[in-house]
Amino acid sequence: MGNIIEYIKMAFKNITANKGRSFLTMLGIIIGISSVIMVMAVGDGTANAMNAEVQDLGSGQINVYCSDNAANAQEWITPEDLMALKENVEGVDGATPNDGSSGTTITGKGEFSITLSGGTEDLQKSLNFMIKRGAYFTAADVEEGNRVCVISDSDAKRLFGSDDVVGMDIEVTIGPITGSYRIVGVTQQKENTSFISYTYEGMPVSLEVPYTSFETFGWESDSFYSVVVFANDQASGEEVVRDIIHTLETRHRCAGEDYFQIQSFQDMLSEMNNILAIVTTFISCVAAISLIVGGIGVMNIMLVSVTERTREIGIRKSLGAKTSSILLQFLAEAAILTIMGGIIGILLGLLGAFGACNLMSASMGSAISPGIKASTILGATLFSCGIGVFFGIYPARKAAKLSPIEALRRN
Amino acid sequence: MDNLIKVQDMCKIYNPGENEVRALDHVNLEIERGEFVAIIGHSGSGKSTLMNMLGCLDVPTSGSYYLNGKDVSAMKDNQLSEIRNQEIGFIFQGFNLIANLTAIENVELPLIYRGIGRSQRHKLAKEALIRVGLEKRIGHKPSEMSGGQQQRVAIARAIAAKPPVILADEPTGNLDSASTEEIMGILKGLHEAGRSVILITHDNEIAEQAKRVVRILDGKIVEDYYNAEKKAQEA
Repeated sequence: MGNIIEYIKMAFKNITANKGRSFLTMLGIIIGISSVIMVMAVGDGTANAMNAEVQDLGSGQINVYCSDNAANAQEWITPEDLMALKENVEGVDGATPNDGSSGTTITGKGEFSITLSGGTEDLQKSLNFMIKRGAYFTAADVEEGNRVCVISDSDAKRLFGSDDVVGMDIEVTIGPITGSYRIVGVTQQKENTSFISYTYEGMPVSLEVPYTSFETFGWESDSFYSVVVFANDQASGEEVVRDIIHTLETRHRCAGEDYFQIQSFQDMLSEMNNILAIVTTFISCVAAISLIVGGIGVMNIMLVSVTERTREIGIRKSLGAKTSSILLQFLAEAAILTIMGGIIGILLGLLGAFGACNLMSASMGSAISPGIKASTILGATLFSCGIGVFFGIYPARKAAKLSPIEALRRN
Repeated sequence: MDNLIKVQDMCKIYNPGENEVRALDHVNLEIERGEFVAIIGHSGSGKSTLMNMLGCLDVPTSGSYYLNGKDVSAMKDNQLSEIRNQEIGFIFQGFNLIANLTAIENVELPLIYRGIGRSQRHKLAKEALIRVGLEKRIGHKPSEMSGGQQQRVAIARAIAAKPPVILADEPTGNLDSASTEEIMGILKGLHEAGRSVILITHDNEIAEQAKRVVRILDGKIVEDYYNAEKKAQEA
């Protein structure tokens, strides 16, 4: 097979001798490969951008719920459980109840509906907001059940027309009871991104308060349906989750009862990624069909070429070309056509991906750059080569099997 | 030493059965090295079939064929390709050059299939083109040459690899008289240089220019003589 370079040269000669036809043959492959590359690059790029934003929102955040089983057994997560999780589970930085309520407040700017998120001081880990003024409420505030709150600068402006509000009071009415919350901190509201909306039109004013302060409004604050645990970056997600469940089950003596359920941020993220991957794969499959059609186009042209060049094949055979030589020459031709088509397709696909991402970035207001993976490009190249060889086999065999006498007889 | 060509009792039957055609009917033929033989016959006489057999393009139905000491009558396709490549240089009536290759690329083809490296190939091909007087045309494509020139390229292709047998099938059939003379001159020159040349033709004038004439009719050899001897007898 030392002659393989010669066969490749012959194939190149034939391809360049029929430039127009070669290009048309490649067109199907070009379209197929470029659409696959483009879809995959845009899909990966979108996933990357989304992941980056969502990671920013709350990586390492693990939600722990009480299941229906626990509710039936009247088992809830307690403040002591939270302490135990923080102290006993390695990798856990904080834990807070995820308690909430809603009410109204009236200020000089009018009446506003209001949501209160009750937690420990660890609640500040949940949305890594920047503190703009003042400070977050403290463990002591939680301990004493102080009615203090943290508000975002944009909400402060809605309520008071200014974000310089530390030390001011907000009268919060929940049900029949009104209580006054003192503002101790102002956070900087995050801008909305392509995938996450932090604010929306008509959104209630949001306050973060010590969960113990809810006692003012007449309900106990010693058992929770759901809590949030914060794992640090070094912790392995699965291990932390296992330890959390183990600790809770030990404390409630309910091993195997399935009382506590976990939803970690990673789970949600990978779920989202799965959905995106399915969509990308689906679109890629549709695009891949055009590749197969392109492959059939290559086969078709190669068959025509075999018929047209029957005499040439006869000449070559009479001069000593073996069956394998002819086979290789025609296979090389099909492979080169599809590889060239593949390369042009990759370039066009990348170009298209950049174009599409620019358009998307412009319309969504955040930067999406195409996710270009070496594996995608390598895969596309190999795939196009594979198509060339696969769809080239039939015509090449047909050519190689011609008898030299028959072939020479034809014009 | 063996004969260059030794055909024994060779038959070729097409469509065996009721409508069978005996294209070759118990043919016996021996050709020595260095001979210049013309095989002559009308169309349908079986000379093309004999040429296909001698050229290892086809295998006989029965009988044996030794080419340069090798029994080729029972060879498979790929072995036949190899024999054609190493033992035979073909010259065809229709030149059979590949249109999109230049003269020298056409001449190099059999050398490629023989697995000869690039520089050696180029050297041999150039030598052969010089031998047929086309050193100025090596970069030309067939469409840029006259019929006579194309046939000279084909001759160069046939002799480049220095095969023991040159097999020419009606080499002048498509040529005017001037070119015919030219081509016959080259073939005679090759014979004089010691090559074995087998010429297949229907033309008595052409056949007379060979040293030996083998006449075939209805698949049988009916005459086999040396031109010189015959002329002497006639005289």
